[in-house]
Amino acid sequence: MAVCTVYTAQSLNSIPTPPKTHLGFNQKQVIFYTNTKRKSPNSKRSVTEISCSADKTVVIGLAADSGCGKSTFMRRLTSVFGGAAEPPKGGNPDSNTLISDTTTVICLDDYHSLDRTGRKEKGVTALDPRANNFDLMYEQVKAIKDGVAVDKPIYNHVSGLLDPPELIKPPKILVIEGLHPMYDARVRDLLDFSIYLDISNEVKFAWKIQRDMAERGHSLESIKASIEARKPDFDAYIDPQKQYADVVIEVLPTQQIPDDNEGKVLRVRLIMKEGVKYFNPVYLFDEGSTIDWIPCGRKLTCSYPGIKFAYSPDAFYGNEVSVLEMDGQFDRLDELIYVESHLSNISTKFYGEITQQMLKHSDFPGSSNGTGLFQTIVGLKIRDLFEQIVAARAAAPMAASKA
Amino acid sequence: MAAVSLSTPKVFGKATASQEPNILKFSILNSAWKRGTTNQFRRMYVRPVAAAPDRISGKVEESIKKAQETCSDDPVSGECAAAWDEVEELSAAASHARDRKKESDALEEFCKDNPETEECRTYDN
Repeated sequence: MAVCTVYTAQSLNSIPTPPKTHLGFNQKQVIFYTNTKRKSPNSKRSVTEISCSADKTVVIGLAADSGCGKSTFMRRLTSVFGGAAEPPKGGNPDSNTLISDTTTVICLDDYHSLDRTGRKEKGVTALDPRANNFDLMYEQVKAIKDGVAVDKPIYNHVSGLLDPPELIKPPKILVIEGLHPMYDARVRDLLDFSIYLDISNEVKFAWKIQRDMAERGHSLESIKASIEARKPDFDAYIDPQKQYADVVIEVLPTQQIPDDNEGKVLRVRLIMKEGVKYFNPVYLFDEGSTIDWIPCGRKLTCSYPGIKFAYSPDAFYGNEVSVLEMDGQFDRLDELIYVESHLSNISTKFYGEITQQMLKHSDFPGSSNGTGLFQTIVGLKIRDLFEQIVAARAAAPMAASKA
Repeated sequence: MAAVSLSTPKVFGKATASQEPNILKFSILNSAWKRGTTNQFRRMYVRPVAAAPDRISGKVEESIKKAQETCSDDPVSGECAAAWDEVEELSAAASHARDRKKESDALEEFCKDNPETEECRTYDN
């Protein structure tokens, strides 16, 4: 829905120039000229200018470690909105951007101020704020939020160089994912919603082993050394962003299997901040109480190691939060639907929507445990948030025009 | 709703969970009866599918060696951290490239853009 404002001016022979900053993709300006008295030398011209701009973009921030391509989360999120997210066609093949009908996902690595050689010379990791241009990040995200298209640089992960920029047009929803979406205070204020993906050290180690052992040159030692070397910078710069996030998805090793180190069965905690505008935390049975729930029993049979849920209010870095936790994994469709039917405030549009989304992407990693479930739930929450924001914006000018 | 879709049999090695590093397989047409001829150039070399990941794999290996060297001098320096950070970045890129290669099927790619062609027809009976 577009919001249009009408300007009328009567000026003597002066033609209004369109405001410079508003020339963007989504803005259309129609200028009407009417001549009231033709023949008199000082003909008055009444000028009516109508300026329309589409809704301001909703900006979501996603923070997580290592590269971009939290693609599983992104794909689940864009799938909730409908449509598949793909790299921009015809552009740089090494572009990190993903575009779908409603969403555009930008990788914050594109705002590196130092390329790989630059960082090596200075002895600085990509996690270090000195390697990133926060001024540019702030300017461009602000511009997109205001409906102006920008030329965003591209950081090529293969060559390690900064490639020529690509044009990003303002979408309905902009997702900025990377290492520092909430680091800079100005960028933080632009975010309508923020998510932090917190993977515990044991799980990170297990996942990286799975990812890298097939790679030539890697060994257990090199993987371990890589994680250890990055840890100081990670703890100093990335981890503190947790406190600013509206939602933290914490992934821990399971407590259901003693001494498990495969990282396949996981304990996932969804930590939701209370009091965030347009966001109502998910709860189990009774909001604000403490619940421990094992769905497996008479009505539902689960296979080893079963599923265990917990819900409780808590404090997190000085903020009031609600924590929903799942430990274990889903093996069957009916387990999923059973669990879904007992969760409240999940913002689904129909019964079974979460299950349907999980099934749609059953090949994605995490589809059988809390990571997939909570990512899907967060996706639905974001959709709900987006719709509420749009409705609120639509209501505002109508109220203004009535007044 | 039943749909039939044809996909080309995957000739090249699938990305299995084998621990063995990606050894690229070249398939040479074994036309024994043609060996007698002087047509050496007619032997077909099929380009390895994992072309892009290969280029990254090489980089990963190099970067690991460099990181180990840098860190043997001074394990707490910024250079050491930067070197291992590079390894991490390249490993992530390599894994993405592998996933992309795993996903892309030539026929599926073609049919995405040209669903009306003969090869891409699906039947619901």
